[in-house]
Amino acid sequence: MSALPETAVELRRAAAEARAGWSRQGWLALAAVAVVALVPFLSLPGVRLDALANTLYLALAATALGLTVGSAGLPSLGTGAFMAIGAFTSALLVARSGWPVEPAALAGAAAALVAGLLSGGVVRLRRAFVAVSTWLLAWLVWLFLLAFPSVSGGSQGLILPQKTLLGLDATPTVHFEVALALLALTALAIAAARRGAPGLELSALRQAPALATSLGVGLASRRLAAFAATATLAGLAGALAVQLQAVADPNAYDPFLSFKLLVAVLLGGAAATLGPAAGIAVLGLISLVSGPFARLLHLPLERFDTAVAAILLVFVLALGGEGIVPWVLARLRRKERPKRLPAAPAAPAAPPPHEPVLRAAGLRKAFGGVVAVDGLALELARGETTALIGPNGSGKTTALRLISGASRPDSGVVELGGSDVTETSTAERVRLGIARTLQTTSAFTELTALENVLVGRGVRRPFAGLVRTAFATPRARREAEAAETAALQALAVVGLERAADTPVPELTSSQRRLVALAAALATEPDVLLVDELAAGAGADELDGLAAVVDRIRERGVALLVVEHNLRLVRRVADRVVVLAAGATVAEGSVAEVAASGVVQRAYLGTQRL
Amino acid sequence: MTITLQVLVSGLAAGAVYGLFAAGYSLIYRLTGIVHFAFGDLVGLGVFATLLVLAGTTPVSQAGATEPRFVLALIVGLVLCVAAGTATYVGIVQPYLSRGSTIGWVAGTAAVAFAIRAVIGATFQRSSYVFPDPLPFHDIGHSGFVRIGGAQVQARAFFVIGLAVALALGSAWFLEHTRYGRALRAVADDAEGARFVGVPVELLVALAFGLVGALAMIAAIAAAPGEAVNANTGTLLGLKGLVAALAVRFGPPLWAFVAGLVLGVVEAAIANVHIGSWQLGPSYREVLPIAFVLLFISLWPSPEALEERE
Repeated sequence: MSALPETAVELRRAAAEARAGWSRQGWLALAAVAVVALVPFLSLPGVRLDALANTLYLALAATALGLTVGSAGLPSLGTGAFMAIGAFTSALLVARSGWPVEPAALAGAAAALVAGLLSGGVVRLRRAFVAVSTWLLAWLVWLFLLAFPSVSGGSQGLILPQKTLLGLDATPTVHFEVALALLALTALAIAAARRGAPGLELSALRQAPALATSLGVGLASRRLAAFAATATLAGLAGALAVQLQAVADPNAYDPFLSFKLLVAVLLGGAAATLGPAAGIAVLGLISLVSGPFARLLHLPLERFDTAVAAILLVFVLALGGEGIVPWVLARLRRKERPKRLPAAPAAPAAPPPHEPVLRAAGLRKAFGGVVAVDGLALELARGETTALIGPNGSGKTTALRLISGASRPDSGVVELGGSDVTETSTAERVRLGIARTLQTTSAFTELTALENVLVGRGVRRPFAGLVRTAFATPRARREAEAAETAALQALAVVGLERAADTPVPELTSSQRRLVALAAALATEPDVLLVDELAAGAGADELDGLAAVVDRIRERGVALLVVEHNLRLVRRVADRVVVLAAGATVAEGSVAEVAASGVVQRAYLGTQRL
Repeated sequence: MTITLQVLVSGLAAGAVYGLFAAGYSLIYRLTGIVHFAFGDLVGLGVFATLLVLAGTTPVSQAGATEPRFVLALIVGLVLCVAAGTATYVGIVQPYLSRGSTIGWVAGTAAVAFAIRAVIGATFQRSSYVFPDPLPFHDIGHSGFVRIGGAQVQARAFFVIGLAVALALGSAWFLEHTRYGRALRAVADDAEGARFVGVPVELLVALAFGLVGALAMIAAIAAAPGEAVNANTGTLLGLKGLVAALAVRFGPPLWAFVAGLVLGVVEAAIANVHIGSWQLGPSYREVLPIAFVLLFISLWPSPEALEERE
């Protein structure tokens, strides 16, 4: 019974937030949409409304593709296939089964969604394979339509009866307004998704997939969501556009349509939400101008358009262009860094008991004939720092990979809090509380420090999916605020609270490693595996790093640090494990290990110096 | 039995051409990590340049099928094909590879593909052309068809199969046993390492881009007089080659060639074979193999095909 008043409260809250967040740009955008909405009523000379409405539907599909190409970085050459699936589904339902337009259009979008999910396995692949697979998909759908005239109506196409749309006669004017409204809503939703967690994580996956997955970002799920959303919206655009055209002609959906959409995205700028729509507008203008030329040269018009679009794209790409909209925005907008009060690290909980939290036993991993880790046993306790040292090639990083889930052991077990996690994936282990920093890639270079840490926060955000973020549900908004607070606190733990909005390229390499550490901390780990924190750090930085490690330990985290810098090891380690040729050769306090002479033998060989 | 032999021979003849395209895609992928979307159209450019020199733009012709003129036309076509392939690498592919921009080479090579198709389509505007035949296959058997055990088989098919297999084996031998072949394999294995030990990587790769086009073009021209050709011929052959190359997940070029042969036979079988009264029929010929390969690559990708993960 309390649902209704709660909803009312939420709505008022949302309205207040919207008012507070409303800016001059918001008014400008609203005014622009309103002016465009008036176009059909101005009876402009020489303007064909049906062509304009059709262009708006194309812009809708291109805007949707912007999510896959711009955020996810996937070169999809198959968007036209989803438009075709939407178009022919809705056309068949209207022409053969007599459905009204609205449910038929939704069915078209649903069919495209199903096709997107079915072919969505390709998002796990490298980008070259994504490009080939989507290209083949575009051909598959087109060749299917050509080969089966019973479905596609053959060379005549399917003729569609005149219908109503939203209770009005489906005139080009009505289609124009519907397309404009859908385009505006789609752009808003995609802009929200790109600003929020989905956009951030897709961007992280695009820049450094290994680093993003080590922070528990689900590569397949995030990319599939973007790919399927693009498919659905393209299907909807195709389904409505075909009703406007009143005929479903297979030849309108050849692979060139997919290419044209990609050209529009790149021409307008994949990085901006409105870039693809601008790209479609530019292509439309080109075709208006090139039409008379083609007639003059007695060339078939479609061929001519094709060549012009292709050559234009090559020029834009060759100039290293990011596309029109980002280029304009960069000149209009001066980047202002938001003003924030530096956060203080949240007070650590009461001193935790030194209970064991992670246990590894009998871990063994061989690569071909080389045994990298041979029967390793480890026990890590809360609030304790264990250092794993040993010469190059002794299996330290492999040991970390086995514990974090990046590779599977040939034999042995990893237990977290008493339960066996040997068979779980990296992402699942991050969720359960095992985080790891990488030796090779430390931070996402296109993001700020705070955004880097927010990527790590993703595993603790159950309401940050694509749909919830795009619709900015109350829970998603509350969670986004909480995530930012948590990320700022994690930055404070590593002492970078004042650098939150600094882009990564402006940070030193030591600071980048600290950002990576903060990102791992933001996953709220019980166990933190740190690979080479001090690599490349100067002697003057060691004290700072040691203080950071100690602060993390005091928060009750079990730390395992792989470290070559033995000075740092002496400062922070409660316990030292020495590896040589994949096996433990010594274990104990720093003093015990140093006294045993094993370290010297491991590093320098048995000969006395 | 008769239909099986007919399907096998015509399928192998078509597949031999697909195979050389597939081998080209796979060699390019292994050298550079890119998929060359303009490959089929570049070969189409060479084929139509040859046709232009041979017979102009008249739709049906046996004119110019004299040997000296044919040799001249073939040389013009091959030179254009090699030059265009090399230029594509230097102008379109290499700049984006060095910048690490996947979207750049994907869109760039696709743009070249559509631009070439537009040029061919604007020059050869009819829906089909007959490629003149310099070799007297027409005089063998019944107007080019021979009977083998009751089956009617195009005599040309054996020539196409033989030529393509010879080209494929010849290139495999070249890659295995010559200095340049070894250098190319070194580039495929580790381009940075090859550059470090003094292999002229850019030059070799640029030449390879041109030469794989020439190989595919020779096979395409050998087969061309057997069927009508149009502006889409190169594109479609490229598509089939891509399907075959993807079926072996861009593995060694010789495997890709074999995959092309298999694809040709599978297509012919889909179109022609009856099992009892049940038959798939020609409608399924084009779509089934593509659908199957797409399913295959998304369900069983090779480890190298998967996005890098931690």
